[in-house]
Amino acid sequence: MKNAVSGLGLAPDAAMITFPIDMFLPGSDIGQLKARKQEIYNGLTHWKSDFKAAAPAKSTMLCVEGASYEDALVKANNFLLTNLWGDGLPMWPATRERVDWILKGSALPRTHMLGKFPPRGGLTTVETCAVALAMAGGRPEYLPVLVAAVDACFDPSTVFDQLQATSGGPFPAVIVNGPIARQIRVNSGFGLLGPDPQHPAGASIGRALRLMQQNVGGALPGVGTMAIFGAMRYTNAVFAEDDEGLPPGWQPHATQRHGFAPGTNSVSVVFASGATNVRRRGAKKETPEEDALNGMWRMADFMRTPNLAALAGWEKGTPGIMMIAPIVARRMAELGWTQNSIREFLWENSKIPMAQMSRAGAPAWIEIDSNPVTRESINLDPWPICLKPDNIVLVVAGGGHPTHSYWLQAHSPSVIGRVIRLPETFDELLIQADRDLGCGSDHCAIA
Amino acid sequence: MVKLEFHDPSGTLEITQPHAPRLASLEGRRIGFVSNEQWQAFRMLPLLKSMLEQDFPGVEVLPIDTFPQGNDLIGTEKTADLVGKSGVDAVIVGNAA
Repeated sequence: MKNAVSGLGLAPDAAMITFPIDMFLPGSDIGQLKARKQEIYNGLTHWKSDFKAAAPAKSTMLCVEGASYEDALVKANNFLLTNLWGDGLPMWPATRERVDWILKGSALPRTHMLGKFPPRGGLTTVETCAVALAMAGGRPEYLPVLVAAVDACFDPSTVFDQLQATSGGPFPAVIVNGPIARQIRVNSGFGLLGPDPQHPAGASIGRALRLMQQNVGGALPGVGTMAIFGAMRYTNAVFAEDDEGLPPGWQPHATQRHGFAPGTNSVSVVFASGATNVRRRGAKKETPEEDALNGMWRMADFMRTPNLAALAGWEKGTPGIMMIAPIVARRMAELGWTQNSIREFLWENSKIPMAQMSRAGAPAWIEIDSNPVTRESINLDPWPICLKPDNIVLVVAGGGHPTHSYWLQAHSPSVIGRVIRLPETFDELLIQADRDLGCGSDHCAIA
Repeated sequence: MVKLEFHDPSGTLEITQPHAPRLASLEGRRIGFVSNEQWQAFRMLPLLKSMLEQDFPGVEVLPIDTFPQGNDLIGTEKTADLVGKSGVDAVIVGNAA
C-alpha cells in the first residue's frame, strides 16, 4: 500500500489498517473489524503521515569503513543486506568508479530519465540502471540490454505495478534478438535459463533488473510483492533466441511479434509465472512424422491448463513462451511445419472443455475480468487459452539436443519489444571484454 | 582504515502532492467506498457501512458499488473523476492482501 501511494507522488505512507490474512479468506470471522473500528475512523479523522524528510534530488553516496579492503567489502555487503537492498548473494558495492565504468555502455546521458519504477515510484535514470548492474556483477556492454528491458517494463500496457505486487510472482523473461546476444555473451544454447560461465551476461542483466524491481520499485518479498513462491527471481530470465539456428524461411521472434527487421538488436519482454520442461522426443521406433506429432501433442497437453493469471493477456498478451531447440525446429521445418502451423496446432489443441473449466471454478475469474473481450470468451467451448494462435510466443532456443521443449507459462498483459541503442564506442567495449574474459566459444573481437 | 563509498541503490522519490486533509469529524459527512471486490470486501465493506451509520449521526455512506470496482478499474482516472464529482468528503479503499 505504501508503495502504491508513493508511486502516485504522495509521501510513502498511508492511513492503513492491517489485519491477519485469515480474515480475508472465505467464511472468515470478520468480527475483528468491529473491534478495531476506531482505528478506521481515526484514519479518516486524525491520521498524520510519519514521513518527515523529502528524498534528496540525486543519488546519495553511502560509506563504510573497514580495517582492510576485504573487511570494508564485507561491511558493505552487510550494510546492503540490512538495508534490504541485497538478494542474499555477494554483490559489488556500486562505487563511483564501477558505476562510471558501467556507464560507458550507455548511448544515453546518465541522467536520462526512463520513468518511475512502479509501484513505489523510484525515479529511474540510466545511472539507476548502472548502479544495479554494478551491484549485480555486470559489465558496460550489458547496459544497453538492461536499459531497453527496463524501458519495456515501463510500457503502460504491461500494468507493471500490478505484476510487481501480485501474489502470483511473475518474473520478466527478456528475449534478446540480434547480433548483440553473441557479442555480449547472452546464452541461446545449452542451459540458457541457468548459470553458464561462457555466457554470463543474462545472469547479471536479469539480476540487475530484479534488484531494481526490489530496491527502486519496492518489490520486497512479503511487503511490496506478495509473490507467495517467487520462483526465478534471483536473475529473472534473460536469454537469446538462436537467430542463426532458425530454419530457412523462419523469422526471428522480434520480427514476427514486433516487426523489427531481422538482425536488429532488440529485447522482447514477457512476464512469465512458471517454467516447465516438456519431454518431447519419442522413446521407441517412431517415424520422423510421428516423433514430431507426438511431441507437438505433449507440448499442447502441457499448455492445456486453466492458468487464470494468463487471463490478463488473453486478448493482447500471451499465455506463454514455447521454446523449441534449434535441431527440433530444423527437423520440423523439413517435415513441412512452419512457425504459424506450430502455433495454430498448439492453440487448437490446448483448448479446454468448458466442463473442465467449470470443475476448476475458472469461469468466475473470466466473469470478473476487466476486459470485455476476455469476458466474452466464456461462451467458447472448448475454451482457447488465448484469443488467437499469434498470442503464443514461439522461440527457437536451447541446446543442440532434441529431447525436450520448454514452456514458460505467462502472466503477461502484453509482450513489449524495444530496439537496443548502442553507444558509438560499443566495439571497443567488446574488445575489452575479450581481453578481460578471454574469447567466448562463439565470438571473439580480438581474434 | 579503508573507506568504501558507493551509491544508494534505491532511487529517489519525488513527492508531488500532499495527502488529503483529515476530517474534523465524521458526523454529517458523505463517505464513499472504492473496492477491488477481492478478499471478502463484499462482506467487510457493508459491515463497515452499517457501523459508520450507527456510530455517526447524519453520516451518508454511499453504496459499495457506487464507483467502478475491481483491481483494473479502481486506479483509473475515470474512477478518480467519478469520486471527485460525487461530492464525498472521504473515501475508504479496500481490500488489499
